[in-house]
Amino acid sequence: MKLIADRLDRISPSLTIAMTSKARALKASGKDVIGLAAGEPDFDTPQNVKDAAIAAIQRGETRYTDVAGTPELRKAVAARFRQDHGIDYKPEEILIATGGKQVIFDAFLATIQAGDEVIIPTPCWVSYPDIVQLAEGTPVFVRGDENHGFKLRAEQLEAAITPKTKWFLLNNPSNPTGAAYSAAELKALTDVLMRHPDIWIFTDDIYNKLAYDGFRPATVLEVEPRLRDRTVTMNGCSKAYAMTGWRIGYAGAPAHLIKQMDKLQSQSTSNTSSISQAAAVEALNGPQESIEVMKVAYKRRRDMVVEMLNAAPGLRCHKPEGAFYVFPSMQACIGKTSKGGRKISNDEAFCLALLEEEGVACVHGEAFMYPGYFRISYATSDEQLKDACTRIQRFCQGLH
Amino acid sequence: MPDLAKRLQNVQISPSAAMTAKAREMRARGINVISLANGEPDFATPRHAIDAAYQAALSGDTKYPPQGGTPALKAAIARKFKRDNNLDYGPDEIIVGNGGKQVIFNAFMATVDPGDEVVIPSPFWVSYADMAKVAGGVPVTVSCPQNNGFKPRPEDLEAAITPRTKWVMLNFPGNPTGAVPSRTELAALGEVLVRHPHVWIMSDDMYEHLLYDGHRFSTIAEVTPALKARTLTVNGCSKTYAMTGWRIGFGGGPAQLIRGLFNMQGQATAGVSTVGQAAAAAALDGPQGLVEEHRAIYEQRRDLVVQMLNAAPGITCHRPEGAFYVFPNLAGCLGKTSKGGRKIETDTDFVAALLEEKHVACVQGAAYGLSPHMRVSYATDTASITEACGRIQEFCHELS
Repeated sequence: MKLIADRLDRISPSLTIAMTSKARALKASGKDVIGLAAGEPDFDTPQNVKDAAIAAIQRGETRYTDVAGTPELRKAVAARFRQDHGIDYKPEEILIATGGKQVIFDAFLATIQAGDEVIIPTPCWVSYPDIVQLAEGTPVFVRGDENHGFKLRAEQLEAAITPKTKWFLLNNPSNPTGAAYSAAELKALTDVLMRHPDIWIFTDDIYNKLAYDGFRPATVLEVEPRLRDRTVTMNGCSKAYAMTGWRIGYAGAPAHLIKQMDKLQSQSTSNTSSISQAAAVEALNGPQESIEVMKVAYKRRRDMVVEMLNAAPGLRCHKPEGAFYVFPSMQACIGKTSKGGRKISNDEAFCLALLEEEGVACVHGEAFMYPGYFRISYATSDEQLKDACTRIQRFCQGLH
Repeated sequence: MPDLAKRLQNVQISPSAAMTAKAREMRARGINVISLANGEPDFATPRHAIDAAYQAALSGDTKYPPQGGTPALKAAIARKFKRDNNLDYGPDEIIVGNGGKQVIFNAFMATVDPGDEVVIPSPFWVSYADMAKVAGGVPVTVSCPQNNGFKPRPEDLEAAITPRTKWVMLNFPGNPTGAVPSRTELAALGEVLVRHPHVWIMSDDMYEHLLYDGHRFSTIAEVTPALKARTLTVNGCSKTYAMTGWRIGFGGGPAQLIRGLFNMQGQATAGVSTVGQAAAAAALDGPQGLVEEHRAIYEQRRDLVVQMLNAAPGITCHRPEGAFYVFPNLAGCLGKTSKGGRKIETDTDFVAALLEEKHVACVQGAAYGLSPHMRVSYATDTASITEACGRIQEFCHELS
């Protein structure tokens, strides 16, 4: 009997699995491995947020909530959108989901028909094309050039649009590059989108609290409010409040789309954890200082990592505006051989050799549809980062 | 304007969720509504589960969970399957989802191709059919007559299976009828299924511990071991441990199938709230005394509801073996007019008039594939049940 549906066969096996299982195996065998591969903050969830969760349990908030989220959390999300971006969403224009990922899943399954195209700037988070394909859509990749800060140019977006384009998907700031769009940069893209009224816009703003040197990532609707009736603004608590394990993502979108997403969610998972929702209310409404504390640390780490990587022979590291990633080029290392005798034929070989010989785990660029580069997450302690970058320098010096 | 996908056109929002939302909305307007629409225990989550959640939050167990469930929870689930069902499942044969609903949704999405048939004994939990439809499948219902206690007959099941059948759903004790087949009756269904090796079997055992009058629980993979290799056994913490808000469901099945569910979940929501998983492990491993205490209370309530509904003119109520629902027949009320002047032609008319005039929320049988019935949940306190049944009696007395 045929076990797996065609829709799952379309999803490519994760390119990061080989790397993560190797790192795990090395660690288990007692080797000192520094993990720079995870996409999550090393900080702990703020105490006021934990306390709010505990208080919710004590009040007995352990029951089903509305599928789209508790009224309190939807109100808190609306207030955040208003305060942070000047966007007014009514409660029926907001959906709470099990992570930002479910927002994407709900939106794409609710709208994409077989053959519809989704424009995705690369490098990109691997799950984007996979979710598009799960919904029977076709990902259309447009390359953001490194010398343009890995950002898309307006003419590239214009050229990628066809009559089959259903969505334009923007991740700002970006995983894996940390690249972020200013209001002026974003306006150039929204001007293009204004000329194409049949395209939905999805903006994944999950990292938008994390930007440095006074840079302020813009979001689509503050730059172009006229796109409101076809834009999904996604955000969540995972990155800004170090709440990855709580699984809280949310979206603002036109009511008729939210209704469809709510319907799909009512048939796939129902509400996300009532306790996590109470924690999220406190995260969004409570004191925001913890974000500033994390930002100071992230900025310091970013600056150190960029400097140390640029001092490694063969690497070139652009200094990004936000998130907690850098995405250095290793193209000058291709064709060389490591000290341990491993041939560096591509970014994956580079990362595997680096892991085997120096015990540093990163993710290779191919996993983000962008070979010749690799991703480093600097969401780990300064000491660990310094040690890891020193090892990377030593590894690169050993290449011949 | 960009448009929506056809995928969700024939899918409806979960009707019990819709009715619950309506009741909540009336309550917010100050109306004293008693909801018997919810499939949700009114008890509090056990203390030791809550303590485990505190500890998890406080100790920083708030990072991304492994996609298929934490090792600790999977081990607790394996022990549960062994203890309660005499079923052996290894770690790669278990998955944790955001509620039992997601386990079922993932199973369909991972296996059902367009046109595949899903056989569902009816009356049934509507979400089965909607989830099958989201996956492109065709729900095929098998009528379970009231004179067979709402249980499927082997010959009817046999007749419903075709070469296109992908899944057969089993749900005992069943939502909405509370029906439970004996071990012998279940084995007779197993005999049919053994003859059709191309068919997957899903056993939704969510109400396992809510059985009355000395009935004992059995599940298909245990009764007919030959089916275990193609059976997905679904269960969860919501109903047994009054943990609906925590969103913890799980499934046991062959590794290859579990892998498909895992891949699907990876694209939809990733892992389940870490705090919820810690609570679930404690609930499964901890003292089970509360389960029996609650069961005994539900049994008393069932007797109360059945007796009070049978005293209402026009209503006949079958006494079910399990779950916390009754599914009375309303045939004697049709064709009449309510005190408020509403014509009662269908069960949908009946529940609408009952809500408007007596402020009692139930769900129409049509939503479960069998009219003229309604589903009454007795998962609420005894005083509210008595009051609500009194109002139903009054409503029926006033019909003319």
